[in-house]
Amino acid sequence: MPEQPAQPRTTIVGEGRAGLPISRVAVFAGLTLFGVTAAVPFVWQILMSLATLTDVDLLTQTGFPPTLLPSNYGLVFERVPFAKYFFNSFFVAGWVTILQVITCAMAAYAFSRVQWPGREKVFLLYLGTLMIPGVVLMVPNFAVVLGLGMFNSYWGLIIPGAFSAFGTFMLRQFMLTIPTSLDEAAAIDGAGHWRIFTEVVLPLARPGVIVLAIFCFLGNYNSFFWPLILVKDVNLRTLPLGLLVFDSSYGRETPLIMAASLMAMVPPVVIFLLLNRYLVKGIQLGAVKG
Amino acid sequence: MIGSARKRLLIALAFLLPNLLGFLVFTAGPVLFSLAMSFTDWALTKHNSFSSTPVRFVGIENYARLLWGDESGFFWNYFGNTVYLMIGIPIGIAGSLGLALLLNAKSSPAGRGSKAWGVGVALAVTAISCFGVWMLTTPGPAPTELTAVKSGEIGLTDLTVFQVDRARSNAAVLAMAVLGAVVAGGMAFGSAFFRTLFYLPSLLAGVAMFLLWKTLYRPRGGLINAGLEPLLNWITHATKQTPEWVWKAGAAGVFGLVAMLAGLTVVNGVRNLGSGVAGAAALFGRVAWAATLLAAGWGVAIVLWRVHGWAADGLKPPDWLIDPTYAKPALIVMGVWCGVGGGNMLLYLAGLSNVPPELYEAASIDGASGWQRFKHVTWPQLAPTTFFIVIMSTIGGLQGGFEQAMVMTGGAAETRVLAFYLYERAFKGTFELGLASAIAWVMFAMIFAMTIVNFRLGSQMTND
Amino acid sequence: MAQVVLRNVGKVYDRKVRAVEGFNLDIRDGEFVVFVGPSGCGKSTTLRMIAGLEDITEGTVDIGGRVVNHVHPKDRDIAMVFQNYALYPHMTVFKNLAFGLMLRKMPKEEIRRRVGEAARLLGIEQLLERKPKALSGGQRQRVALGRAIVREPQVFLFDEPLSNLDAKLRVVTRTELKNLHQRLRTTTIYVTHDQEEAMTLGDRIVVMSNGRIQQVDTPLNVYRRPVNRFVAAFLGSPPMNFVEGTIAREGQRPVFVGGDWLRLALPADQPGVAADLARHEGRPLVLGFRPNAMSEHAAGKFAPPGGGNALRLATTVVEPLGDKIDVSCQTPAGQRLIARIDARDNFPAGQTIEFFLDPEHVHVFEPGEFGPNILRPPA
Repeated sequence: MPEQPAQPRTTIVGEGRAGLPISRVAVFAGLTLFGVTAAVPFVWQILMSLATLTDVDLLTQTGFPPTLLPSNYGLVFERVPFAKYFFNSFFVAGWVTILQVITCAMAAYAFSRVQWPGREKVFLLYLGTLMIPGVVLMVPNFAVVLGLGMFNSYWGLIIPGAFSAFGTFMLRQFMLTIPTSLDEAAAIDGAGHWRIFTEVVLPLARPGVIVLAIFCFLGNYNSFFWPLILVKDVNLRTLPLGLLVFDSSYGRETPLIMAASLMAMVPPVVIFLLLNRYLVKGIQLGAVKG
Repeated sequence: MIGSARKRLLIALAFLLPNLLGFLVFTAGPVLFSLAMSFTDWALTKHNSFSSTPVRFVGIENYARLLWGDESGFFWNYFGNTVYLMIGIPIGIAGSLGLALLLNAKSSPAGRGSKAWGVGVALAVTAISCFGVWMLTTPGPAPTELTAVKSGEIGLTDLTVFQVDRARSNAAVLAMAVLGAVVAGGMAFGSAFFRTLFYLPSLLAGVAMFLLWKTLYRPRGGLINAGLEPLLNWITHATKQTPEWVWKAGAAGVFGLVAMLAGLTVVNGVRNLGSGVAGAAALFGRVAWAATLLAAGWGVAIVLWRVHGWAADGLKPPDWLIDPTYAKPALIVMGVWCGVGGGNMLLYLAGLSNVPPELYEAASIDGASGWQRFKHVTWPQLAPTTFFIVIMSTIGGLQGGFEQAMVMTGGAAETRVLAFYLYERAFKGTFELGLASAIAWVMFAMIFAMTIVNFRLGSQMTND
Repeated sequence: MAQVVLRNVGKVYDRKVRAVEGFNLDIRDGEFVVFVGPSGCGKSTTLRMIAGLEDITEGTVDIGGRVVNHVHPKDRDIAMVFQNYALYPHMTVFKNLAFGLMLRKMPKEEIRRRVGEAARLLGIEQLLERKPKALSGGQRQRVALGRAIVREPQVFLFDEPLSNLDAKLRVVTRTELKNLHQRLRTTTIYVTHDQEEAMTLGDRIVVMSNGRIQQVDTPLNVYRRPVNRFVAAFLGSPPMNFVEGTIAREGQRPVFVGGDWLRLALPADQPGVAADLARHEGRPLVLGFRPNAMSEHAAGKFAPPGGGNALRLATTVVEPLGDKIDVSCQTPAGQRLIARIDARDNFPAGQTIEFFLDPEHVHVFEPGEFGPNILRPPA
């Protein structure tokens, strides 16, 4: 787990280290208390996912399943095309992420590094739509996708997400922090705009790009509303849809539901643990400075 | 600025084009399209490839139906639900601030993360819990009643005293293992460990998480009620031991105290009333604070007043999601649990690390206590962060709640929010896209109004 | 190698804000020219127009006999060192130096040879594999310099390259820069706001203010014969003292009269000057003299020619510098003057002391910020 950069802490004589350690122990105890509160549901979920159908209802009384059934995890894949759901989620979220990062980075370059007449006006238009809540877009986007013949297809799941005013805004803010003298130096060195974009600005905007990619991927991986209204075909269901359907048809089989939902939670956790550093920095950068 | 303006425009367009195209088709265009749609009677059941009826312009009819016409019953009901569920927002924000302060505070081992120490403890804890698990799973004398239930001889409800000792020790070992793991992690990795742990729920918030909470909320066999039951039993017992008048006096005392505090707050505010909008905003803040205080006090007083009566027939944990009265509180509790350690906490952490340490040093030298340092340094310095969080949470709150309603209660009436309403009208039954667009725009108007109000109040407070 | 010629160059931002106006300058091949002036005077804008980083609103820029107004920066055969160095943070020092050559599709061995040569010249050979983040300020500065050198351009452009260094390093690097120029003999245009840097580095310096050239000349000429009060005040530290007064005539000699405490006989041996002074008789004028034109009476370095150049001033603060001391004085009119005189122990502060003012080192200006020098105009 990467540490956050050390924050300056004030040490005041008579408090903290030199003083009573009680407050420090209390802080640690508080952290532990909330930590346990955050952890317990997940621990319980693991136990439920390993129990037999009868044991799971008695779990609050036994405290631990008498027999462990790891085979529940395999059973999920037999009951529903869970692998397909996984694939769909990764496929859709992956493509949306790739496309969105590319289009947003390019647009952000145009907004932050090129001076062109009308730039501020067009950017203001982008900014203006950031205020519009997502629900306003749901209905007309549905109509547009319907009109383009993308209903009930990967296209319909991917294409509307491939552009984002927010992503453009975020990367623009990020690129504005890169000194313009670097582009100027590159221009004098003989680089054209595409080269400045790919070899100077993009590498330097990498933390911002990674943050956008993480947010975008996680958001689309968890996305529920849009697939719900767009997908009719069983083979196009993404994980959230699949889980909901699984729950409504096999809801009584708690261990299987828990095993399935636990598996669905693994990829975000892995991504988070790997890219924790960028994400924490990104949230702080994107929001506070933006 | 290299090259002529025309050339620069062409270059910019080349970079912008893919995004701009998508932006026009899926964002800017739809906004206008949606606004236009909201003034029509467009419904997919009426207007499709099989029917040639043209879409009619109906003026403000959709809006009229929503706000005072035939749909107004649903609309205002769902609006009420949405606002009710937003009670969780201030609780969550306060919690996020609290967690951020805890993470930022000096704690004995968590601040630095003393690795060698922590890893040792972690190993010990792991060993102990492994031993415990091994004990638990080793075949021993099978609990007779459990076998009876398994074989179908008796039902679950027939269970009386079920191997209480064995179950309690299991739970104890389990609890110790979780506690030990958290302590060990905290010692080994310091506050980064807790930050990650707190962040997990918000990272995973989604259908999978809601399914988990659905099982936790089960009236029988759910973890939450299993934890509440002994607590409520103890309260029942304790209540029966004391005469009723003690409770009623306590209720009166609590309410009286709170009312006095609230009154003092307002009176002080009026006495020190500043001029202009700033003064009005400050007074408004005080009144809001007093009202919150009063409401909380009223709630506590009511509970104290009645608890004796309730305890007479024994306190029972609620049926949560199934019970219309408790469904919304259940969603609020889950929402707070999911959101409290999320982005808002990270924002507060960033805000805290941006407070210049000299300010604390100066305040300490000036003689400020811990609480005074919070009140006069930390809180004012965090004002912009709080302002941002409040605005974003309000926007999110008015739009949110759809997934929860869909997954947790299957869309039971008492959990339906405005977003659910839009879904129901646009994508179910009659597919009334026109009406649904009107719903979206009314929501937008509300969000816009809320944001303006927040801005007015917030900019006054951040400028102080 | 090339000469750079600017003709009537002007810059107007957004059709409103004028940054540079009527800039005319011929820079000879191999010359080191420094643009100096306070911030906002248009010196950086002019440099950026030469580099091609800003459009040229009016006039022409000619590099090596070719008008480059519409030529892309990469095709102007220039190299630039930026104030913040503009090193690519994600590339190693080697890659930073090689980037421009790579883009020009230069063969690999040639790139390696040139980078190696530049690195040797600058003493940064051992840093080639590091990234800029791992370098000290001085090392970064050298790398930025190296990036310009490897290109072997016709013109070097420097935009305040030393301002991010600490005072000591700045002086050392200044000398090295001058040394480098004497070896490479590449035409160099250097922008700074630091008058000391300008004086020490430039073959010629261009003093600018409000978008206009005030004076172009060798450092010593500019120092000795400032064209107007602005240039006089801008160059030199501590700055020149100014006293308001008028010119009167005592017999044949023009005398500067400032209140009742200053009567200074002016040297008027040059023919044109005497007439000029005569023309200004009785009008408000400003006497200017550098702090080191004053000396202490007791030191008796030179005898007063007519005895009229003694000033009785109240000293307030004494700042020892080593072999000199700066004495802050107050005139009877309450104006503050600074004298830089030979150091001696126990120099009394808070007393009235008699100073001498050397008439060979005074200037007379017409009133106003840009009042022309009428006593010692540029030759």
